[in-house]
Amino acid sequence: MKSPFSISNRLSFNFRLSGKTVRLAALLLLLGLSVYILYLDVTIREAFDGRKFALPARVYGRALEVYPGLKLTREQFVGEFKSIGYHESPQPDEAATYKLTLDGVEFTTRDFVFGDGPQPMQHLSIAFADGKVSSLQVRGRDDVDLPLLRLEPPLIGGIYPGHNEDRELVRIDQVPKPLIDALIATEDRKFYTHWGIDPRGIARALYKTVTGQRIEGGSTLTQQLVKNFFLTSERTLTRKGTEALMALLLEMHYSKDEILETYLNEIFLGQDASRAIHGFGLASYFYFDRPLERLEPQQIATLVGMVKGPTAYDPRKHPELALNRRNVVLQIMVSQNVITQGQFVSIRQKPLGVVERAPAGTSPYPAFLQFVHRQLERDYREEDLRSEGLRIFTTLDPLVQYQAEKALASRLAGIEKTRKLAANTLEGAVVVSSTQNGEIKAMVGGRDARYAGYNRAIDARRPIGSLAKPIVYLTALEDPQRYTLITPLDDSPLVWSQPGTTDWKPQNYDHQFHETVQLRTALAHSYNVSTARLGIALGVERILGKLPMFGIDQQPPPFASSMLGAFGLSPVEVAQLYQTFADGGFRTPLRGIRAIVTAQGKPLQRYPLNVEPVAPPAPVYLLTAALQGVVREGTAQSMNNWLPAEMNAAGKTGTTDDLRDSWFAGYTGDSVAVVWVGRDDNKPIGLTGASGAMTIWGEMMKNIQPEPLEPVMPEEIEMVNVDPAKGVRYDEECKSGVLLPFIKGSAPAETSPCGASSADELKTNDNGGAKADIRPEIKQDSGQKSWLQRLFE
Amino acid sequence: MKNRFAWLFVLAWLLLLAGCAGIATQPTTPTILSETEQPEKGAIIAPVPKAIMSDNRAVIALLDRAQTDNESGQREAAGASLERALRIEPRNPWLWLELARVRLDQGLYAQAITLARKSNSFAGHQSRVQSENWQVIGNARVAQGDTAGAEQAFKLAAELAQQAKTKAESDRDSGFNSP
Repeated sequence: MKSPFSISNRLSFNFRLSGKTVRLAALLLLLGLSVYILYLDVTIREAFDGRKFALPARVYGRALEVYPGLKLTREQFVGEFKSIGYHESPQPDEAATYKLTLDGVEFTTRDFVFGDGPQPMQHLSIAFADGKVSSLQVRGRDDVDLPLLRLEPPLIGGIYPGHNEDRELVRIDQVPKPLIDALIATEDRKFYTHWGIDPRGIARALYKTVTGQRIEGGSTLTQQLVKNFFLTSERTLTRKGTEALMALLLEMHYSKDEILETYLNEIFLGQDASRAIHGFGLASYFYFDRPLERLEPQQIATLVGMVKGPTAYDPRKHPELALNRRNVVLQIMVSQNVITQGQFVSIRQKPLGVVERAPAGTSPYPAFLQFVHRQLERDYREEDLRSEGLRIFTTLDPLVQYQAEKALASRLAGIEKTRKLAANTLEGAVVVSSTQNGEIKAMVGGRDARYAGYNRAIDARRPIGSLAKPIVYLTALEDPQRYTLITPLDDSPLVWSQPGTTDWKPQNYDHQFHETVQLRTALAHSYNVSTARLGIALGVERILGKLPMFGIDQQPPPFASSMLGAFGLSPVEVAQLYQTFADGGFRTPLRGIRAIVTAQGKPLQRYPLNVEPVAPPAPVYLLTAALQGVVREGTAQSMNNWLPAEMNAAGKTGTTDDLRDSWFAGYTGDSVAVVWVGRDDNKPIGLTGASGAMTIWGEMMKNIQPEPLEPVMPEEIEMVNVDPAKGVRYDEECKSGVLLPFIKGSAPAETSPCGASSADELKTNDNGGAKADIRPEIKQDSGQKSWLQRLFE
Repeated sequence: MKNRFAWLFVLAWLLLLAGCAGIATQPTTPTILSETEQPEKGAIIAPVPKAIMSDNRAVIALLDRAQTDNESGQREAAGASLERALRIEPRNPWLWLELARVRLDQGLYAQAITLARKSNSFAGHQSRVQSENWQVIGNARVAQGDTAGAEQAFKLAAELAQQAKTKAESDRDSGFNSP
C-alpha cells in the first residue's frame, strides 16, 4: 500500500525539475494530444462526408406506358398508382395525387428522372371505355390530348449498404419545420447555441454516473449523430469522452444545418425484416406511406418519439408504448409552442395511423432481384452497388408478376388438395419473358414468392425431359428435302447401344409403340421412340451441339438419352431456349435490366436489345406450327380449359422419370413462359407436364391476357392442301385436305383428285380404342379466311 | 508560471487548427463508368411519312423523339426510345428498321444487319420497308468490307424500291380514277 504522502512527494520532485524539461514534456504531451485530436478529426469527417454518399442502389420495375388504345382497365391503372405511392385526394393537383371521375381518373404525376432524362410533373386526366384507355389529356384551360404517358416506375427493391441500411435522402428544406422543432424540443433544446456538447447535460450525466445512480446520456443531437456513425453500444466514460471530442470537431467543420440534415437522414428508426430503416425520409414512408412534407403533427410526434428507442417505441410492435411516447412528445411540443393547446387537445385523441403492411424485407420480388443482382455483379463492384445510390431500371412487370405468383401458389395448393398430397410438399418456379425483346417480365422462385431463399427459377437445374425435343425436330425441319411436318417416322421398338453407357431402350409414356407416325404427330404426342430414332438418324452430336447457339451453356452428356432431356436446366435457361423458337429463330439474351443511372440522374449504362440470328426462319416457323399442334391436339390439349383456341399458343410438356419433374414451356404472341413443378427432395410427385406445370401456365396466361400467336409467314413457306396419310396434294379448292405449311418445294408433288379424305377414315379408327396417331383434321371450307382461321374452326 | 506556459497553449491551438484545416478528407466519389458512345455525324432518318410507319400516336411520338436524339448524336437515347416504341408495337417492321439504322450509325454493323433482317421478317409484302432494310444491310456490309455482299444488297434494295414505287403509283392512279 502506498503512503498518502507519495503523491505529494512525487509532485514536489517534478517541480524541482528544470523549467526546460517541463516545457519539453508539456510540448510532447500537447503534440500527442494534437495528433490524437487530428486522428479523431479525420475519422469523424470521413464518416460524416462518407455517410452522405452511402446510398443503396434503388431498383425499379418497368414504367407503365399509357396511351389511348392500350388494353387497361381503370382498376388496373389505380392499382399501378398504389404501387407507386399515389394518394387519393379531392383536389388532385399536388404531385402523386389522384381523384376518380365518372369514367376515368384525374391525377398529377411526379417529377422523375428516367434512364433517358427527366420528366416533369404533369396534371392529367384519363378515361377508359371497353377495357381500354379511351383518352389521355393534359388538364388545363383547354384540355390537350397527350399521345403517351410514362408513369413513374414502381420501386421494387434495393441493394443496401452494410447492415442493410436503407434510407430516403431528404434535404433540410424538405423537412417540415414542426418536425425539426419537435425534434429539437425533445432531444436537444440548446442545439442551435451549443458547440456540439452541452456542458450542463454532461455534468448532470457525469454526476449521476459517478454517484452510481445510473449511466446516463445527456447527449446533444451532434453527439447522437457521432454515436450513430460508429454504431456501438459501449457506454464507457472514454467512449463518451471521444464522442464529445468528435462532436466538438464536427461543429468546427460543419454548419448546424449540415449536421441536422445528416442527423435527419442517419438516425435509425426501425427494422423491416433484414432491412434497417434510417432517417426520417424513409421512416415517413415506412410507417405512414407518405412523403415527409405530408405528415400530420401526431405522425411527426410518433417519429420523433421513436428516436429515444426505435425498437421499444415501434408503433407496429408496441402500439401502446408508442402512443404514450407520442403523447409525451406532443406535450413537449405544446410547452415549446410548436403546436397550440387547442391542437394538442384534438390531436392527442387521434390513433397512431400507421399503415399496415407485411414487412417487405429488401424486396417483395426476391427472385427477380437476385437475378438482377447477379447481372449487376458482372459489371459493377459490390461496394458501388451498395453505396453510390445507383438507380437501376429493370424489366419486371408487377401485373404479370402478380399473376405468375398467384397461379403458382393457388394451383399447387389446389393440386395437393385434389390429389391428396401432403400440403406444402410441391414446389415450383415460373419465368415469363417478352417474345420479341427477351425482357424478363416475371420471375417466381418458389411458391412463397416473398421468401428470399432458394431461387428455383435460376438455381434449380432439373432434367427437362421432353422440353428438349423441339431441338431434334428443328434440326430435322432444317432439311426440307428429307423432313416435313408430315414425314412418316418409325415408332417401333428401339435398342440403342452406345459406348460408355448401358443399352438404351426408350419407351413411350403410354407404353405402346405406334408403328408409323407423322413427324408433327410424334411431337404433338411426345412419342419418345420415334423422336429417339429421328435424333439418332440426324446425329446425337449434331443435335446437342446446337445448345450453345440457343444460349445454353450447359453441355449435356453426349448420349442419345440427352436428346430426350436426360439433363438438367434451370427454368430461366429453358426460357432462353424457347425464346429463340418464339422469336422466329432470332436469339435475344434474356435481360432483367434496361438502364442504370447515377444518383444525380446521369446515364451510366444501358443494356440495349441484342439480337442474333441462330436458326433459319422457315424451319422455326414449321416448328412453331408443330408446337401449336401440341396445344391444339397433343399432350397439352387440356389447355383449352384456360385459353381459347384463337390464342394459338405453342408449347411443350415435359415429364421426367418416375414423374419427378413436371414442366411446361410455351409461348404466345408476346410472352414466353416456363413453369417447373417438383419437390426440393426430388421425390416423385405423380404429375405429368400436363397435369402439373401446364395448368399453372394456363391459369397464369388466362389472367395475363396475352396476344394471340400469329407468326409472320416467311417467304420460303407456302401453304399446301395435302392428305397427310397418303402423302399427296389436292387442289386448293378441294375441301378434303389439310392445309399445312411447307418449305417451298418440299410438299408432296403427287396430286390426287379431290375425294374422300383419309382423315374421315381415321375418324372411325379413333373409336376403336387404341389412340389414333393422326387426329381428324379440320377440312378446308372457304377460300375467304386465312389458313390459320380455317385450321382452328 | 501562467504567462510562461501561455505560448505553449497558443502553439497547440494553432497546430490543431492548422491540422484540421490542412487535411481534407476524401469523400468516396462514385466510380463513373463512361459511356462508350461516340457522337457521330450524319443522322439518317428516312423521309417516310410517320403516318405510314404506325397509326399509334404514342409510337409516332417516340419515333419523333428518337429522330431528335439521333440528329443530335444521342444514339443510345434514340435506341432507348425505339425500344420503348417496340414494346408497344413489337412486330412493327418500321421500328426495327429505325433501330437497325441507329445501330448502323453507332458502327454496330452486325447488329444493324440482324435488326434489318428481323425487320424484314415482319415486313410481309411491304416492299418499301424491305427496300430500306436491304439498303441498311448494304451499307453495313460496305463498312464490314464485304463489297460483293453489299452490291447484292443494294441491287435487291433497288428492285424492291422500284416495286414499291410502281405499287404507290398504281395506288395513286386508282385513287385518281375512283369516283
